[in-house]
Amino acid sequence: MLRTLKLSFALKNTCRVNNILYSLKQIPLIKKILPDALYQCEGLKILANIISLIWEILTVFLGKLLYLVLMVFGAGFLYSDKPEELYILHILLFLSIIGSFVNTHLFNPSKDKYYAMILMRMNAREYTLTNYTYNIVKTLVGFLITLPIFGLLAGFPLWLCLILPFCIVGMKLFAASVPLYGYGINGKSYNESRLNTLVWIGIFIFLALAYGLPLARITLPMNLSILLFICCLPLGVAGAIKIYSFKDYLEVNKELLVGLTGQMDKSASTKLIKQQNEKRISADRSIVSSRKGFEYLNELFIKRHKKILWSSALKIFIVCLFLITGALLAIYFAPEIRPKLNRMVMLSLPYFTFIMYAINRGTNFTQALFMNCDHSLLTYSFYKRRTFVLRLFVIRLREIVKINALPALTIAVGLALILYCSGGTDNWSNYLILILSLLCMSIFFSVHYLTIYYLLQPYNAGTELKSGMYSIIMMLTYLCCFILMQLRITIQIFGLMMIAFSLVYCAVACVLVYKFAPKTFKIRV
Amino acid sequence: MKFIIENLSKKYDKKEVLRNISFEFSDSRIYGLLGRNGAGKTTLFNCINRDIRADSGACYIENGGTDGIDGTAGSASRRETTPEDIGYVLSVPTVPEFLTGREFIKFYLDINSQSITNPKSIDEYFDYVRIDKDDRDKLMKDYSHGMKNKMQMLINFISQPDILLLDEPLTSLDVVVAEEMKQLLRTQKEGRVLILSTHILDLALDLCDEIVLLNHGELEAVDKTNLDSHEFKEKIISALTEDENA
Repeated sequence: MLRTLKLSFALKNTCRVNNILYSLKQIPLIKKILPDALYQCEGLKILANIISLIWEILTVFLGKLLYLVLMVFGAGFLYSDKPEELYILHILLFLSIIGSFVNTHLFNPSKDKYYAMILMRMNAREYTLTNYTYNIVKTLVGFLITLPIFGLLAGFPLWLCLILPFCIVGMKLFAASVPLYGYGINGKSYNESRLNTLVWIGIFIFLALAYGLPLARITLPMNLSILLFICCLPLGVAGAIKIYSFKDYLEVNKELLVGLTGQMDKSASTKLIKQQNEKRISADRSIVSSRKGFEYLNELFIKRHKKILWSSALKIFIVCLFLITGALLAIYFAPEIRPKLNRMVMLSLPYFTFIMYAINRGTNFTQALFMNCDHSLLTYSFYKRRTFVLRLFVIRLREIVKINALPALTIAVGLALILYCSGGTDNWSNYLILILSLLCMSIFFSVHYLTIYYLLQPYNAGTELKSGMYSIIMMLTYLCCFILMQLRITIQIFGLMMIAFSLVYCAVACVLVYKFAPKTFKIRV
Repeated sequence: MKFIIENLSKKYDKKEVLRNISFEFSDSRIYGLLGRNGAGKTTLFNCINRDIRADSGACYIENGGTDGIDGTAGSASRRETTPEDIGYVLSVPTVPEFLTGREFIKFYLDINSQSITNPKSIDEYFDYVRIDKDDRDKLMKDYSHGMKNKMQMLINFISQPDILLLDEPLTSLDVVVAEEMKQLLRTQKEGRVLILSTHILDLALDLCDEIVLLNHGELEAVDKTNLDSHEFKEKIISALTEDENA
C-alpha cells in the first residue's frame, strides 16, 4: 500500500511539475530566458517540486478554510435573530450532504487516475483504495484542524468540533459506497463530473434547504442537526466496509475514465469543441444569400450560426429588459429608494464597464469564426491576401458591433430611464453621455476582441489555443475592468473619458490591423 | 517556368530543420518529396507557403530564360513568390463546413473573378472532380473525407497556381478516390510545379517524375538513370538510412 502511495505521489508530482514548467514556457519573455532543454533542468525541477509540495500541503487546509469561511460560518454569521450556531450547523449539515455526493474522489475522473490505471496499468483496486484512503485522511486532518478554529469562535463545544470531522468523513464514506451498490445492480458507474438530472435536482433541493430555510429564519433544531451528524458515524462504517471489500474497481474506473481519453488528449478535446460547434451549424435549406464575395460568405456564416452568435445576446437582452423593468417598477412602488438609486446611477458608470465587458460576445464570436470558418479557409492562400483579410475584417467588425449593440443599447436606454425616473439630473447632457459612453464601451470591446484575434490569431490547426500573449491580454482586460468597477466617478467625467478612450482605441486598433493583420492573421504552427 | 528555393533555413530552438536549402524545380513535373518522419517536409511546405517565417532564404519564380535558338541565353524574369502563386493541399482536408460545395465554389469564383480566366460553370467544376449531383448542395460538414479532399483540390486547381504543394495527399483515401486523384494530379501538372510530400515510396514512384529527398535538412534529387524500379527503391532507402548504417 505504501509503495502504491509513493508511486501515485511520484506520478502526480511529475505531472504537476511538468505542468508548472509548461505554464512557465507559455509566458512571453520568460519563455525566452528558459533553456530549451527545460524539462531536463535540475534547478527548475527542484523549484517546481517545492511549489508542488507546498501546493499539496495547502490543499489540505486551503480548500477547507475557504469553504468554512465563505460558505458555512460566513453565511451563518449573517443571522443574528437566533444563536448563530444553529444556522452554521444547519448549513454545514446540508452542504456536507451535497459535498459527499459531488465530491467523492472515488468517482472523480481525474487525469492521474487515467495515467496510473489505464496507461501505466497499476493495480486498479490497490491504486484506488490507497488514494481514496489518503484523500479521506486528508479531509479528516483538514477539518480536524480548521473546524475547531471557527467552531470554538462561534461557540461550539470542543467535543462537537472534534467529532464533526469524523461525521463528515462518515457521510463521505457512505455516499461513496452508494454508487458501488448501484454498480452491483445495474453495472453503471457514477461520474462526478457528469451528474444526472436526479442528482442535480437533489443538489438544488439541498442548497435550498441549506440557504433558503435560513432566509426564512427556519433552521433544524440544534439537537436534531447533531443527531443527524452522529448518525453518519455508523453509516460511515457501513460505507467503509463496502468500499474496502468492493472488487471491481478496474471496471468501475474504466467506465469512469472512458470519456477522459478524449479529454486527456488536448487536441481531441478541442476537436470535441469543434464538433459541437459544427453541430450548431443550421442545416436549414431555406438559408441562402443573394450577395456576392465576402458579403456572401459573411451572410451565410451569420445566418447559419445564428444559434451560437445571437442566442446569448438575445438572452442577455431579455434579462436586461427584465431587470430594468424591475428597477422601474421598484421606483414607482417604492419612491423612498429613488434618491439612492439616482445617486447610484450617477456615480456607477465605471461599474458598467465591467458589465459591458461581461456581456460582450466578442470571445464567443471570434471562437466561432475560427472554429467554423477561418480554421479551414486560412489553409487556402487566397484567403490570406492583404485586401481580402482587411475587407473581411471590416465586415466582421460590423457584425460583432451589431450583435453587441442590442444588449448595450438596452442597458444604455434603460439606465437613462432609471436616471430620469429616479429624479433626473440637472444637466440634460448626462443622459446623452450615459447612452453614448455605454455604446462606445460596447463598440470598444467588440473592436478589442476582433483586433486581438486578427493580430494574434491564437489558435493552431488543431483548434487549440496556443498564444500565451492572447491569454495574458484577456486576463489584463478582465483585470482593468475589475479595477474600474471599484471606482466611483460621475457620469460626465467618466463618460467623456470612456468615449474619448474608445474612439482613440478604435482608431489605433484599425491602424494596427491594417498594418499587421495581413501578416499575423494565419494559423499558428 | 522554374520554381527556385534559395538558401532557405529554419531552426527550432537549436535543431536545424532546414539547412540552407537551394533547389530548382521545373514546370510540368511532379516532384515526390520523400523524407522520414520528422525530417521537416511539412516545415518546408509551411516555409514556402509562408505559414511560418524562415530564418533566411527566399523562394522565386523564374519565367523564360531558356536557351535561344542561336545558343544565347534568353532574358529570364525573376520575382519572389506571392501567396497567389502557391496552392497548398493539406493532408487533412479542411473546408468551410457551413457552406455547401456549390456555395464554396461560387464564393471562390466571386472573389477571384478578376484573376480567373475562362471560368467554367460550377457544375462543370464538380464534374471535373466527380462529385455527385446529389452532394453538390449539401453542407460540407456532411461530406466524406474523400469529398472534402476533392473540394480542397478543386479550389486549388481553379485558380491555377504556378506551384501546388500537396502534403500527404492520398494517404487516407480509399483506393477508388485515390486513383481518381492521381489522374487529376497528372492532368494538373502541365505548366506548373507540383510537389507532393509522402512517405509512401510506391506512391511517389508511381506518380512522380522526380524524387527529391529531404534528409538532414537538405534537399537532394535522386538520379534514376540506368536503374530499374527495384534498384531505384533500394537507392532511395539506402540514402534515407545512410546515417544509421554509418
